[in-house]
Amino acid sequence: MEKRGFSTVVLTPTHEFNRAVGIPRSAAIEYPYGRPVGQVGDREGQRQVLLEAISVFEKAKTPGEVYHLPFTWPEEPKKTDWQPPEMSPIVKFRLDDIRKARQLKDQHE
Amino acid sequence: MKVVDGFKFIPPGLRGFIKSSIPDEEFKSTIPWKPMAKPLAQTTVALVTSAGISLKSDPPFDVEREKKEPLWGDRSYRRIPRGTTEKEINVNHLHINTKYILRDINVMLPLARMAEFEQEGVIGRLAITSYSFYGFQIESNDFIREAIEPMSGQMKTEGVEAVLLTPA
Repeated sequence: MEKRGFSTVVLTPTHEFNRAVGIPRSAAIEYPYGRPVGQVGDREGQRQVLLEAISVFEKAKTPGEVYHLPFTWPEEPKKTDWQPPEMSPIVKFRLDDIRKARQLKDQHE
Repeated sequence: MKVVDGFKFIPPGLRGFIKSSIPDEEFKSTIPWKPMAKPLAQTTVALVTSAGISLKSDPPFDVEREKKEPLWGDRSYRRIPRGTTEKEINVNHLHINTKYILRDINVMLPLARMAEFEQEGVIGRLAITSYSFYGFQIESNDFIREAIEPMSGQMKTEGVEAVLLTPA
């Protein structure tokens, strides 16, 4: 989109992907997937996140900059219920690899 | 100062799997870059999300084929006019829980909040049209041709200068 003449900001829950694909301007938010702007019905909270995110349009001066937004989601990760009710097709398809990754992590801890 | 942990909400196995696909070092190739042409308060902004949002009057995103072909994702896109509310949308996405967007579209596609910012002079204008596509794309060249090109064309016609993207 930048090549087509648009300045972009990505409000991203996983800013680490910037290392894989190169994102022009990132506003990193530590919120669960599916609700990067905030909680349902929380107008003021959504406004605060968005004001920080869109400020990156003017703050970022070089490609690839990541701005870490200062907000904290109020629930523990396990209680956020952000995942789909049914395991996604790609996760099912790669389940063996995911289990191996889990085992490797357990071995390292 | 907070440093965001992008894996905080991702379960351990999936976390390790995703991390294995991300290099440790910074991205080295050229990143496309369009500098802001004018202050944000004079800029027309569109929203783009990958959350699989469609108007009830449009066809939903095809998730049935993906269930049969796990490496395939619907490459189409949908136009979402400004003023659209959660009452007027479907959300089809196999990688997130969609129930929150159906209760409040602004958690993903913040049309009402951006319209407020337009009123308050924080942004120049919210574009006439914002967009959703489906956030599981592996064959990116086809996706760019079939979705990004036509979306960009309409944005140019409607005077869009900046885009806030919210990935699902």
